[in-house]
Amino acid sequence: MNQLLLRTLSLFAFTGLVGSAAAEEARFFRGVVLNGPALTIDGNVWDGKDAKDFSATGKEFENQSVTLKPATDTARARMIRASRWGDKVDVTIANVPPAAYQVFLYVWEDTLSERFKLLVNDRVVVEEFHSGSAGMWKRLGPWPAESAGGTIKISARAASHGAANLSGVEIWRGSGAILAVRGAEFVSAPTAEQVAFFESKIRPVLVEQCYKCHSAQAEKIKGGLVLDSRAGVVKGGDTGAAIAPGDPDASLLIQAVRHLDENVAMPPKKKLPPEQIAALEEWVKMGAPDPRTDDTVAAVQAKTAIDWTKARKWWAFRPLAAPPAPEVKDAAWPANEVDRFILARIAAAGLEPSADAEARTFIRRATYDLTGLPPTPEEVEAFANESHGSHGSYEKLIDRLLASPAYGERWGRHWLDVVRYADTAGDNSDFPIPQMHKYRDWVIAALNRDLPYDQFVRAQIAGDLLPARTPEQIIATGYIANSRRFGSRVEDYPQHLTIEDTLDNFGRAFLGLTINCARCHDHKFDPITAQDYYALYGIFHSTRYPWPGIELEQKQRDFVPLVAPEKLAEAEAAKKDRDTELSKLEKEVQKLKDSLKNTADPEKKNVEAQIKDAEKAASDFKKKPLPYELAYAVADAKRTGDVPVQMKGDPAKPGEVVRRHFLTVLGGAELPPDDVSSGRLRLADWLLDPSNPLPARVMVNRIWQQHFGKGLVPTPNDFGKQGKPPTHPELLDWLATRFIAEGWSAKKMHRVIMLSHTYRLASTRDADALAKDPNNTLLAAFPRRRLDAESIRDTLLALGGALDRTPAGAHPFPPESDWKFTQHNPFKATYETNKRSVYLMTQRIQRHPYLAIFDGADPSTSTPARPASTTPLQALFLLNDPLVHEQSKCFAARLCAEAPDVVVRIQRAHALLFARPASEDEVIDAQGFLENVRAKTGDESEAWRAYVRVLFRLNEFVYID
Amino acid sequence: MARTYPSTSQSGEGIAAVPGRFARREFIRSLVGGSLLLPGLVSQLLAEADDPLSPKASHFPARAKRVIFIFSNGGVSHMDTFDHKPKLFAADGKTMGIGGGLSNQQRVLLKPGWEFRPGGKSGTLVSDLFPHLRECMDDVCLIRSMKSDDNEHYNATLGIHCGSFFFSRPSIGSWVSHGLGTLNQNLPSFVVLAAAMPYAGTQIFNNDFLPAYHQGVRVIPGKEPIANLDRRTAQSGVQEMELGLADAYNRRHLQARENDSDLAARIRTFETAFHMQTEAREVFDLAKESDSTLALYGTKRGQSDGFGWQCLVARRLAERGVRFIELVDGSSSNNWDQHGDMAEHAGHARNIDQPIAGLLRDLKQRGMLDDTLVVWTTEFGRTPGVDGTKGRGHHSACFSSWLAGAGVKGGLTYGATDEIGSTVVENKVHVHDFHATILHLLGMDHTRLTYRHGGRDYRLTDVHGNVVKDILA
Repeated sequence: MNQLLLRTLSLFAFTGLVGSAAAEEARFFRGVVLNGPALTIDGNVWDGKDAKDFSATGKEFENQSVTLKPATDTARARMIRASRWGDKVDVTIANVPPAAYQVFLYVWEDTLSERFKLLVNDRVVVEEFHSGSAGMWKRLGPWPAESAGGTIKISARAASHGAANLSGVEIWRGSGAILAVRGAEFVSAPTAEQVAFFESKIRPVLVEQCYKCHSAQAEKIKGGLVLDSRAGVVKGGDTGAAIAPGDPDASLLIQAVRHLDENVAMPPKKKLPPEQIAALEEWVKMGAPDPRTDDTVAAVQAKTAIDWTKARKWWAFRPLAAPPAPEVKDAAWPANEVDRFILARIAAAGLEPSADAEARTFIRRATYDLTGLPPTPEEVEAFANESHGSHGSYEKLIDRLLASPAYGERWGRHWLDVVRYADTAGDNSDFPIPQMHKYRDWVIAALNRDLPYDQFVRAQIAGDLLPARTPEQIIATGYIANSRRFGSRVEDYPQHLTIEDTLDNFGRAFLGLTINCARCHDHKFDPITAQDYYALYGIFHSTRYPWPGIELEQKQRDFVPLVAPEKLAEAEAAKKDRDTELSKLEKEVQKLKDSLKNTADPEKKNVEAQIKDAEKAASDFKKKPLPYELAYAVADAKRTGDVPVQMKGDPAKPGEVVRRHFLTVLGGAELPPDDVSSGRLRLADWLLDPSNPLPARVMVNRIWQQHFGKGLVPTPNDFGKQGKPPTHPELLDWLATRFIAEGWSAKKMHRVIMLSHTYRLASTRDADALAKDPNNTLLAAFPRRRLDAESIRDTLLALGGALDRTPAGAHPFPPESDWKFTQHNPFKATYETNKRSVYLMTQRIQRHPYLAIFDGADPSTSTPARPASTTPLQALFLLNDPLVHEQSKCFAARLCAEAPDVVVRIQRAHALLFARPASEDEVIDAQGFLENVRAKTGDESEAWRAYVRVLFRLNEFVYID
Repeated sequence: MARTYPSTSQSGEGIAAVPGRFARREFIRSLVGGSLLLPGLVSQLLAEADDPLSPKASHFPARAKRVIFIFSNGGVSHMDTFDHKPKLFAADGKTMGIGGGLSNQQRVLLKPGWEFRPGGKSGTLVSDLFPHLRECMDDVCLIRSMKSDDNEHYNATLGIHCGSFFFSRPSIGSWVSHGLGTLNQNLPSFVVLAAAMPYAGTQIFNNDFLPAYHQGVRVIPGKEPIANLDRRTAQSGVQEMELGLADAYNRRHLQARENDSDLAARIRTFETAFHMQTEAREVFDLAKESDSTLALYGTKRGQSDGFGWQCLVARRLAERGVRFIELVDGSSSNNWDQHGDMAEHAGHARNIDQPIAGLLRDLKQRGMLDDTLVVWTTEFGRTPGVDGTKGRGHHSACFSSWLAGAGVKGGLTYGATDEIGSTVVENKVHVHDFHATILHLLGMDHTRLTYRHGGRDYRLTDVHGNVVKDILA
């Protein structure tokens, strides 16, 4: 129905164009089968390929065994399945008398989808046509055409490896309506005979065979199609019109009951008897006369429509409350408001908080928490001596740790987990992105200087559109650029998957919502519609993503020069000139190489020398550094605009166009009509609008989660119905409110949380607590937890004395001029380094071997929380890996060098690893062990190495109390 | 510890290997002794329902206990191996239309390069590329109507392993490990024998969002088949001493912490890892295999690589209770991808023909084929039309795969392509159907084997897949 409407509309538009409001009905002029015999189609006689006044380029191709989608009559199918193909196909019809004409073109696909441009008389009529999957065909047009010098030319242009398949050309003379296009209409007033036919032959079939899935009463309506009313029949389903009145072959419903294509075979299990199929065909031919008057479509819509008022009552969408901290009986216990929320719940459960952690336990906990490294024995002793529960000593410690550059490295890594950071692109060859680290370094620096979270977010979404447009703000949009890339080929490049990845991460990272679930259909659980999804999609569709390279187009392009805004145009022009120059030099090489084939022997040497020179010129030119740096960052695209909904998430099935807007449940603000940008800056505004409670809730929950191992909302990336509700909703809102009130400062939030009494508790639990609160949801004790992969590795390196604490900068990738990555030989590397683990080169599709063993972040999708598995492979690593043995060796040597006395060494090892002195038993065990190993091996240093290996494997080392 | 084949090794086997009284005492104290001192600990941990690798009940009685999944990388031509197309021999050089391949570039038909002959009593036609395997066809259920969704190696390889053609998802081996656990706690549940990486790299055996216990452990034929398997301590006995001291420290630590089960579980992983050093090593040591067994696989004594070695080690892993074993044939840069000259298929076939036939025969003679499912597949087929002058292009529209052993009808040929092998015309088996059927044979309903991740229940088969009931015995 929609298609019909569109065609009619385009016809009107055309009529207007030629300025003849009352044009006469157009008449069939000529049809040509491009690669087959003459045929009769739609009652008109078409010429065959040998006809005169017709010529066509392209190769001939025929495959009559392909099943067409949709199915069609024999003659048309025969015409469609024999075609001319190539990356350039021109069809010329000559001897066309001067007049106005309308042109249709039949195209089809025999294998894999292609994209090409279509032109009529050299005027583009379709910018980019997608041919679809095997068997799909289309009758495109009508396009207006004048006879140009007696000819009408129809051309197809594909990219160099692509191919257009053209089957038939159909030309009508005159600019008026084309009856065959307008087609028949649905019968609106059925005759008595038609009603009788419907009641006896059609209604029973629909009721018995279709209603179960296709009626308002269906438990689950399939494909958005209801057949229990005329309105439903006329409207059709998700994939378009069910019936083309008068044309059974073109009707999806008839194709389905004929079981021609198993993907649209209905009823799915058993084909209808032939007489029922025949009756349905007859009915469609008649124009689907239907006496039913109920409008079940409206009824279904009313039933399934989202009740927005109700939807906004879900806890996560409710405005931030500023709840007062509850009164508690033990007024002395709380150190701040956080504790009153926590203690109230503990007390209500009939429990008591555990004792406070010892000072040494506390400083180890806090130091790992904020820096990912162990405290030094000196720090431990100083804190233990001055502490004794004084609030000031805690404040001093937390402030010192927050000021350490290691803080940004530790907490930057948490953010990189959420945004699935990687140094490669994720396409089939996993192209390296040497510039990506700038974003990583920006994140670390932003956290270290406590860039307010709202500014942190705004820069990542729209830094390039901010007034100052500093290099840092451009680099920040690397967040969007870092979306995953797919595939190997430039044609059919699945940009929609990259945008999907952007939206998926955008939803989870900033909103705690799985908006990607609305890609194929409205979200099944949360109030997010497909319209909402494509409204946001339009924003990123209007954004230019940098091109990191792909197997069949290896060169980087569309990176953003890090220059002042006023120098940008100049820089981009310079880059373009440079690319042109380089391509000239490369073409020169190619030209010489080609000429070599036709060069006779004596001349050969000369040409070869020329080639060498030309190659050197090209390679020297390539090595010349750019006068400015480039960032892997985004910019607004040249063409910005809204996009249509993609039915079932398939870009080849466009639905209605939606105006770019924010999620309806969060207000649904629309991009103003005069805004010609991508809309990213508005998106940041909508996201951070004070009326949106989610960004603050989501972020304070992430901070809480990293301090206590689990968020108040245990599913930090999903605040929707599939996630888990907050365990302490009032505390969550109190923290979020405070976060905003204190200028979105993460460091201030750390202070609030870490200076609470709750954070100070010991991790030991009594039987009563274990019984009443087995999962420690109430936080009556500090949750014990395992160190993450980075902390373990960094500690091993630090203790062995190998850790290089300086920032890392760029990875040692091979130079771009050497890249020849393919899916056969993808980029794959592990760069050894003694820098902190946050600086390890991370590949999108190859996991770093160490990080894979110890639950490192998943580089292909957002990691909201690290799992803490304990596997035998981890144990094998600690038993035998060279890293462990090397660092043990270094650490043992260090112990031996620092103290001559055995007991002092043992004490020193305990202090460095566990931040506490060794007990008497432990010292005795250690001494016995050292003696035995020495006796066994006759090697004093091996005994110490063995001792250190033991310590590296202990639970006490990898767990934080 | 739960073991399927008690004859192979007992949990205390390593004791005898430890010389010296002291070492022995330390060792016993740390491991077996540890279990005796805390008799509840090990068994309790094993019994714990949340132990992710403890054996789990299937949804319904299983026909197969384990899977050996052989993957031939690069796109094996169906019409040159398992899908006999007499018309294609006749149509050599004709330009009548056939689609398929990359960018419509192949249009001239190329005849198959090898003759087909019947094998076994069933008389299944197999080409001369697989003379050994042909003799095993009575045990093989051949599917000639496989279909994939993508013509790129990378995507199709990802698809045949993970059921997703673009996104990283857990591999089928990880799903099986997640669904059924393992029968031998001293070996990984999912082992991948790969001399080199295939397309899509580690993603093909990645656990992705499933817990790390289910990641495929790669075995690289050669000196140290599993990373960190070999002790790095120079002298024997030292590692045992180390474990002894660690155990004493850990136990004290544990007792002061309410016997926290996470801590206890981690102690146990060191026991397992300790045993893996011996047991996994033992798996790769073929010294005790007879000459006739080695000959069956076409491998030589002392050889520690080659596809025959991979197949024989696969049998040994299967014997020891490993749940899912994958054998990778070829790499992303050296494989069956013959665009230039189909004749190169001969070398690739020769490399795997006898070893795979040997594996089938060996499993059969040991009675293991009754409860072991052997799967052979590639990522897609090749075009009936020529690519270049003598090669064939990529063809996801149809290809051949086969299943053998537990629960499938041997000697059956299922599904068909058209007369030149360009498209499926009968009983299409999509990759998702293939996966659903493998899970079914393992006693699992593919619609019920799910994992909640990112707000959604995921399945190996996404929202697709039908069990191919016709091939079930």
